[in-house]
Amino acid sequence: MICLGDLINESMLTAENLIKEYKDLRAVDNVSFTVVPGRIFGLIGPNGAGKTTTIRTILNIIRPTSGRILFNGGPINENFFNIIGYLPEERGLYKKSKVIDVILYFAELKNMERKEAVNEADKWLKKLDIKVYRNKKIEELSKGNQQKVQFITAIIHNPKLLVFDEPFGGFDPINQQLIREIIISFAADGKTIILCTHQMDTAEKLCADILLINKGKEVYSGSLVSIKKKFGTNTVKIMFEGDGSFISSLPFVVKTEKLNSHLEVTLKDDMLPKDFLKEIMPLISITHFSVVEPTLDKIFIDAIRGNQ
Amino acid sequence: MKKILTIARWEYIEKVRTKTFIISMFVTPAILLLFALAPTWFSRNAEESTRAYGIIDSSGIYFRPMRNNLEEVQLKNGQPKYVIVNLFNQSENFTDIKKSADDDVIKNKLEGYILIMNGGSDKIRVEFRNRGSGSFDDIGKFEEIFNKVKNKLLLQKAGVDSTVISSAMKYVNVNPIKIEENGKESKADFLTLFFSSFIFIMLLMMMVLSTGNMLVRSLLEEKSNRLIEILVSSCTQKQLLAGKVIALSGLGFTQIFIWGLLGLVSAGTALVPLNVFDNILPLLVYFILGYVFYVSIFVGIGSICSTEQEAQQFTSYISIILTMPVIFSISAIEYPGSLLVRVLSYIPFTTASVMMLRVKVETIPVWEFLTTILIMIISIYFTILFSSKLFKIGILSYGKRPSMKELIRWVREK
Repeated sequence: MICLGDLINESMLTAENLIKEYKDLRAVDNVSFTVVPGRIFGLIGPNGAGKTTTIRTILNIIRPTSGRILFNGGPINENFFNIIGYLPEERGLYKKSKVIDVILYFAELKNMERKEAVNEADKWLKKLDIKVYRNKKIEELSKGNQQKVQFITAIIHNPKLLVFDEPFGGFDPINQQLIREIIISFAADGKTIILCTHQMDTAEKLCADILLINKGKEVYSGSLVSIKKKFGTNTVKIMFEGDGSFISSLPFVVKTEKLNSHLEVTLKDDMLPKDFLKEIMPLISITHFSVVEPTLDKIFIDAIRGNQ
Repeated sequence: MKKILTIARWEYIEKVRTKTFIISMFVTPAILLLFALAPTWFSRNAEESTRAYGIIDSSGIYFRPMRNNLEEVQLKNGQPKYVIVNLFNQSENFTDIKKSADDDVIKNKLEGYILIMNGGSDKIRVEFRNRGSGSFDDIGKFEEIFNKVKNKLLLQKAGVDSTVISSAMKYVNVNPIKIEENGKESKADFLTLFFSSFIFIMLLMMMVLSTGNMLVRSLLEEKSNRLIEILVSSCTQKQLLAGKVIALSGLGFTQIFIWGLLGLVSAGTALVPLNVFDNILPLLVYFILGYVFYVSIFVGIGSICSTEQEAQQFTSYISIILTMPVIFSISAIEYPGSLLVRVLSYIPFTTASVMMLRVKVETIPVWEFLTTILIMIISIYFTILFSSKLFKIGILSYGKRPSMKELIRWVREK
């Protein structure tokens, strides 16, 4: 039996002091991080932050100027090629070739047996609802469907390490949901997943851990929960019936803000929201109570601005 | 190894199916045949009818024997080739006669005329006046017959015996014979030699260009849509390069095979003279070596290109190098042993084509076979080495074309 500890050690990905320099540009500047299996790792940052360069060094496509990448305790070399699944940001497939042929080519490049590859291909084509295009040429498919085919080529060989660079770009909301569910199920299977995006809502919905980079440098690294705690303020949102004017004069309230249908209350740091609720419950009739979390979007913008 | 084969199979099947490949497979030899055959075919057709020529001979001594001799020349179908008209008239002014004869030629009433001036003296001058520069064949015939007539008249005048005259007048041809070391000898004909060796150079050139183009195009596609990144995160660059080179060689062999079949089917017919297949084995060896050499260059330099224009520019450079031997081919046929031809045989860029020519026109010593083949194999090894270094970095560099300095750095990089 495999215990969880083994699994984690087995496919943990670590980057140590990664630096990639081009002639007059340091695209990645001393970045370190760890990707834990089963927890989707979000690599986020504005355009040109160095996300794609980081990914390319992870995948051994380019060599870092210094620093190293370890997977399963060892460097990523050709022995790992078959357990890597990569969906690059810029999409495109062999346009003149048939859907099934392209999928099988990439599957076989990942050392899959042809028979198994055919079975898996059919399974995924069905799951992504593009089975009817199986024998069509890529160029005859819509852009969204081409992206689905490319998604299949990235994951057909059941890789242990998955790298998705902007996986949702070009998909409509329904298909975004479909792909999101698949990615979540991969995480549940204990795969090591890196998700690279500048869509903060996506990262917020999927990622357990975050690395925010800007201009090649780390801006923030840690779990989503801790990042929110760090950047968040102790704020609650309430809706109520009755006179709530007393709230602003309570000793543990820093400030209140009246918005059209509700009131946002910023509490002192040592005041827990549940204690605040207990205090005000006897005084007014509350119809809604929630803790306001800062969106990743806001954190992102604040962090990048603060960084500049 | 399995990955190399997967890549090779994919590249081969995807390209062999393309329209470009199928078209080039059949159109290339068709174009070559057309080029090779059209001139002879046209001149043959032009010969099919009798033509009228005039003679102006102010001395009057050459006209009659000239006409008799010329009208004996026959076309293939037995009809006379020339009809000769006397344009000279005692009562008219010489300048007027010439002027009206010129008019007739320009108005297409006459094909042309022979103008004999100062006949009977040492200052004799003969012109063949016509609209063009005159066919080699006709001028040769006129020259031969005029001299024959002139000399015969002179000898007769000197009272030489008629049997002596007729044997002196007998025209003797000098026949070119190609001799070989094993005592074999064969009739050498400049034109057939030229075309039968030329055809292989042209085939090599077209094959390199068409498959090379396909390769560069597919590399461009893979680069522009970043497929290359998926590929190099699935296999090593070496495997990718090897797979591509194997696939291209496969495409080349498919073409050779089909062209070979076409050639065998049409061999011996009027289209393809049998001697095209003389020395086929060394020809094939040089053909294949030349092909692999150029393809490995294509892979390396092609991987640097990131736009269609760059690729085209690069292809045109290669085609210039490839056609260079054609320029030297005439000299190679006329003077097979010349220094230039020998030197070109040892420069890898021209080895294949020059040797294909030389195999046809001369007997090549075994040591020269061995050294040139060795040179080709060594060059192929180094071009593959060189190309794989360019390829490794080239396929992942987008946008700006790397400078010469950068390229040198790439090649040096371990």
